[in-house]
Amino acid sequence: MSETITADVADQPGATPATAERQQEAATRKASSIEMQGLHKRFGRDTVALDGVDLNIQAGEFFTLLGPSGCGKTTLLRILAGLEEPDAGSLVVGGKNVTEVPPHRRSVNTVFQSYALFPHLSVRENLAFGLKMRGVRAAERDAKVDEIAGFIKLGDLVERRVDQLSGGQRQRIALARALVCEPDVLLLDEPLSALDAGLRSQLQVELLRVQKRLGMTFVFVTHDQQEAMVMSDRIAVLNGGNIQQVGAPREVYERPVNAFVARFMGHDNLYPVTARRGDRLTTALGELTAEEGGAGELLLIRPETLDLLPGTVEGANHLQATVAERLYRGSHAEFRLEIGETTLQATVNNRGRHLPDVGDRVTVVVAPEDLITLSE
Amino acid sequence: MRKRTLQRGLTGFWWLTVAFLYLPLVVVVLFSFNASNSAANFTGLSLRWYQRLMGNEEILSAFANSMVLAITSSVIALAIGCLIGYGMYRHRHRKLGWLIVLIYLPIVLPDIVFGISEMAFFVQIHDLTGLLQPGLGTMIIAHVTFQIPFVALIVYSRFVGLDPTLFEAAKDLYATPVKRVVHFMLPTIKPALISAFFLSFTLSVDDFVISFFTSGPESATLPIYIWGAIKKGVSPEINAIAALMIGAVAVAAILSLTFSRRRQA
Repeated sequence: MSETITADVADQPGATPATAERQQEAATRKASSIEMQGLHKRFGRDTVALDGVDLNIQAGEFFTLLGPSGCGKTTLLRILAGLEEPDAGSLVVGGKNVTEVPPHRRSVNTVFQSYALFPHLSVRENLAFGLKMRGVRAAERDAKVDEIAGFIKLGDLVERRVDQLSGGQRQRIALARALVCEPDVLLLDEPLSALDAGLRSQLQVELLRVQKRLGMTFVFVTHDQQEAMVMSDRIAVLNGGNIQQVGAPREVYERPVNAFVARFMGHDNLYPVTARRGDRLTTALGELTAEEGGAGELLLIRPETLDLLPGTVEGANHLQATVAERLYRGSHAEFRLEIGETTLQATVNNRGRHLPDVGDRVTVVVAPEDLITLSE
Repeated sequence: MRKRTLQRGLTGFWWLTVAFLYLPLVVVVLFSFNASNSAANFTGLSLRWYQRLMGNEEILSAFANSMVLAITSSVIALAIGCLIGYGMYRHRHRKLGWLIVLIYLPIVLPDIVFGISEMAFFVQIHDLTGLLQPGLGTMIIAHVTFQIPFVALIVYSRFVGLDPTLFEAAKDLYATPVKRVVHFMLPTIKPALISAFFLSFTLSVDDFVISFFTSGPESATLPIYIWGAIKKGVSPEINAIAALMIGAVAVAAILSLTFSRRRQA
């Protein structure tokens, strides 16, 4: 099982057949690539929002900027939109340097977190606003609004007033208002964060479908790593105004480059390496053999790669543990195991077999290929 | 039981207050329809005072002055106050508390102080330059000065109530600075502007003290005319003017209130 996973990861960095196809489509629709170089931004004297960001986003890509609040992801998005000017660096969209182009002259549209629908206009007028500002004639505006309303399945929402809409409806109107302008790049600033969980996952799927059908370049900002993994072709993880890692979701999740990325992606099993002999690494858990020892000073063990055997079984990479806590989640169970003084998290799929109980002695089997080391 | 007594007492007090506020107005309106000359006894309904009013050149010219003054000053105050209100909003994050106090001050300043200051100022300017002859011109300037803070505050509070991202959404959706004003800002604050206009209009029509100090011989407004006429005794004609003014101001006030409550234009 774990062998197939690593095989998949190996060919991930380039492009899967699906993304290649999408990029082909995108090229015909003239989606735009984005190149950012040395972007710096500080607010006031002390707050550094961006500390030299270099990033390339391919045409037709669903790209996510992921990070905790204050990491610079929103500032980066605002620079893409033109709402914020970088202190240094350059921004090229679709081969054109737009670093100093004001927002109203950029073919970039934004879906705002608060949706920002104009309260003095009807839904139809909101949808037509961008086209009207660009000088598109009324008849053509109406046709385009109807077309996008059909595409996003807005139905009779178009004829309503903004204050009659629910949160999910506003979100879709905001999306349609940006899409109807057919921008080179669509920016989305945590567009789903105000919605409840059910609606949120429904709109995630819808958003993804829209992006794939249009082949437009989407830049999506979120602090939710689950959402980022579901949606993205590639993810950039940011912290403290710096890019920590850029890669496909599986790369970022399964091969985080440092402890920050690992922790942000939800990994807790990180152990300092106290001694290493080739690929044999010593940590507080004991001695483990990794396929590649690497050079990092922290060992990462993903909870879902572990197997639990009942009782004491001797073997290489077998650890003797006691179950300290069990969280039964239906489809799977999460275990907190104690190995000496150290704790280890393990996630086991519920295949209907025996699940160890609290207090049971178990043997943890660690596969060498799932062990990676990283730096702080 | 005691609770009910208290309840009744409070209701009674409410009606007493209303009566105290409106009874004098009712009397004025009633006597404006009095058939007799006497201000003491009511002899029957008649429109003769209103007819007399229409024939009185002085009153008609005072009425015209009042209207010209109120409309002109309100329009000018609206333009300037709107810009100030937007400026206050744009720079709300800076430490401009002292500036806000400057805006508020004319609102709390006694009219008589304001009126005398304006008069002294205009006289100085007139002596030095020959400009600003007391008259409708000086009155308009004085009225605009006391209307501006009200307009600025109404516009400011409307802007503050908006989602700040709306300004960015307008930019993002290709609106140039001019188009942002025409298609986003003005339509969004339209209810506030209409409300501010009627409030300014009401304040101007109501004003006596400031008008009195800044007016010239030809520019008597209705309140100034009434004040002059009343020195010869209260004629039923005055009651008729007062009744008309009550009506006009009430309509303007109601319009102002309606538009300030309406969120959508």
